Amino acid sequence: MSELNTFLFNILLFSLFFNVGISLYGIFARPSLIKKIIALTIFSDTANVLAIAVGYRGWPSPSQPPIPPVITTTEPSIDDLTWFARQAVDPLPQALVLTAIVIGLAVTLFLVFLTLQVYRLYGTTDVRRVARLRG
Amino acid sequence: MRIKKFLVLSSLIILVLTLSLAFTKGALGHYPLPLPGVRLLASWYLFTTLNPQYPVFTAMSPEAVTAIVWDYRGLDTLFETAVFFLAIVGALALMRGISLKSALNNASNRVGDGGLSLICKTAARLLTPLIIVVSASIALHGHLTPGGGFQGGSAAAVAPLLVLVIFSVYFLLSKGVSEKPMLILRTVGLVGIYLTALAAVLIGLFTGLNAYVFQNQPKPDAPLGLPAQISGALISGSLLFFNVFEYLAVAGGFTLVFILLSIPEEVVKSFIGGETHE
Repeated sequence: MSELNTFLFNILLFSLFFNVGISLYGIFARPSLIKKIIALTIFSDTANVLAIAVGYRGWPSPSQPPIPPVITTTEPSIDDLTWFARQAVDPLPQALVLTAIVIGLAVTLFLVFLTLQVYRLYGTTDVRRVARLRG
Repeated sequence: MRIKKFLVLSSLIILVLTLSLAFTKGALGHYPLPLPGVRLLASWYLFTTLNPQYPVFTAMSPEAVTAIVWDYRGLDTLFETAVFFLAIVGALALMRGISLKSALNNASNRVGDGGLSLICKTAARLLTPLIIVVSASIALHGHLTPGGGFQGGSAAAVAPLLVLVIFSVYFLLSKGVSEKPMLILRTVGLVGIYLTALAAVLIGLFTGLNAYVFQNQPKPDAPLGLPAQISGALISGSLLFFNVFEYLAVAGGFTLVFILLSIPEEVVKSFIGGETHE
């Protein structure tokens, strides 16, 4: 069981690494600014999932998966809290990813506005044609 | 061409599977992933997030993620809100001077018709209030269950986006959701965030007691603090207020940007003018 868990987790990690590579290829190689923005969002989402995966933990026991970092009672005892701290996943990467998602959304919107402005002024979003323009 | 794509894709998948298998079997050194435990810092966060026995460290919130976002690492989130603020200011600066007011007068007859089919419009009429209610629930329960101000605000911004796509931007403006109210909503949210961050300090100024910026629960040298409970209901001190104000700021900001993005090209062209490139 733990072998299978490790295998699935490794598949997740390697898929994320390859996803980073593919999205970087998209950012560098695609000429259209819109395609670059799409690849950038894929890149940031991949980085976020990778951060969440860093905060994941091994199963506390073979039949018990880790639990989310949320206490389900409002007046927990010390025993509850000790059990919770031994079962729950790391909340810190999730908090950082939460802020990263909002920043990513805001920056994406700003880039979309810049691309829109480029299209309005130059009539194209192809970076090769924008680079050839003079004045 | 199709065979080439298929070959590239399948070879990537086979590479991922082989590497994963090699790591699992220890062919490239033994790495027992995922690690069996979390770091000491994470255990500490989990242990103290709702722990009245350690009043100095606790954030009094059962949701460890919100406790970290708005209490343990609150300054991070404050500056992250500043980045969000600046990105929307940048978008507004690019669209400065462009207004839909004149186009709305010309196109007042276009409010009713246009848009997608009757099925979409009926579904949108039913869904839009539900989205608002669900997003408000996400934000208001942010200190108890997964969710919070950002998530609720982003979910709330889906409702005007739905109306924009299914009806039209003129329909949304005729319902009173235009740039200026959204700007006011966003400003109210941001001012609320800063006032909540300074709440303990402001109370300390009047009572003459020591207090810190972003203080939530009482500390040994700063006996002030926001109440963790109000008549038995857990509000986790400042976390509820942060979530509510962040909800307003994020919902207003994103709605504002969606409205600006949906201004038709001919309206924008009439404003920017200048020489055109073909």
